[in-house]
Amino acid sequence: MRFLTATAWSPYAAGIVIGLLQIPAFLLINTALGASSSYVTVSAHLAGFLDPAVAQMDYFAKHMAGAKNWWQVALVVGIVLGAALSARLSGSRRGAMSFVWPRALGISSLTARLPLAFVGGFLLLLGARIADGCTSGHGISGIAQLSIGSFIAVAAMFAGGIATAALMRRI
Amino acid sequence: MTVLSAIFVGLAMGLIFGFALEKSRVFEPGVIVGQMQLSNFIMLKVFLSAVVTGLVVLAALNGFGLVKLAPKGTFYTADIGGGLLLGIGITLAGACPGTVLAQVGAGYKDAWLTLLGGLCGAATFGYLEPALRPWIGDGPGKLTLDAMIGLPFWIAALVLALLFAAALVGLERWRSWRGEVGANGDGDRAGTIAAYDITSVRVTKTSI
Repeated sequence: MRFLTATAWSPYAAGIVIGLLQIPAFLLINTALGASSSYVTVSAHLAGFLDPAVAQMDYFAKHMAGAKNWWQVALVVGIVLGAALSARLSGSRRGAMSFVWPRALGISSLTARLPLAFVGGFLLLLGARIADGCTSGHGISGIAQLSIGSFIAVAAMFAGGIATAALMRRI
Repeated sequence: MTVLSAIFVGLAMGLIFGFALEKSRVFEPGVIVGQMQLSNFIMLKVFLSAVVTGLVVLAALNGFGLVKLAPKGTFYTADIGGGLLLGIGITLAGACPGTVLAQVGAGYKDAWLTLLGGLCGAATFGYLEPALRPWIGDGPGKLTLDAMIGLPFWIAALVLALLFAAALVGLERWRSWRGEVGANGDGDRAGTIAAYDITSVRVTKTSI
């Protein structure tokens, strides 16, 4: 079982495994692979503690209940567990942060990295919810269903990402 | 399907998803920022392989009438504006909404703040959605490539899968994935292993 303890698989093999997950997604859950709407489900329930009115707002309300919403929350929790298992099996647990941040941005401590990580995460989900999908929902699933909107959204994601990365030092 | 069984299916699928994301190294900020600086193509390789597989799977499932497709609608302002913001976020976070969870699982501490930022971003959109509705609804709605060119879905999907597969063969000949993983599996190809002390959170770097 050396493939379980390897640090890296071929990206093609890993991509095929991810693509095959469309089979249970479509057959069992009647949906496509996606990740970003789970953030709405979780944040709606968290926000509900402070502001019970969210349950009366259309957008939050339609993400708060039902098998598909909770399926996706379970999916992203599973991602944490699967990645933790894989990293443990290969002995490649990660530390505080990637080498990228000191090298590309001169960030030398975790404390200095945290505000940027927060802003990055905020834009990730604000953008994904405006576009109605992320790299999974628009990228992997939308393009596999030949949606023109998904081709446009993915092109925009790369445009935004490449432009931002051009402002950083080369890693 | 009941909510409980959907949760069980989701956990099992997520376990595989997370395992594959970690093994592919595509969850590494070094791989993602490297892709955006066009110096590392692992992200594109994983992404296109998943798309090719999805196209073939859905060509079969839909071609044989086993599943109905539900492609996302086309809304120009939302797709372009949202996509651009998401792309900026991908580079600043060194993650996507799905891969940040793999970062949490693999141990990156900063990923917790990316996750928190993501929850705040999703909640912010939820509050803004009624106000944004006139802009994000601008577009034709359902619009797919197969319908535009007048082919059955399964034929168009298989043709596109073939084109993407050919692109992947070319990509691999140009840049082998083995050279892109890095000695430490983090996409750092510069020949140094960066070791991060979890307790002191100061960065130290040692040469191989």
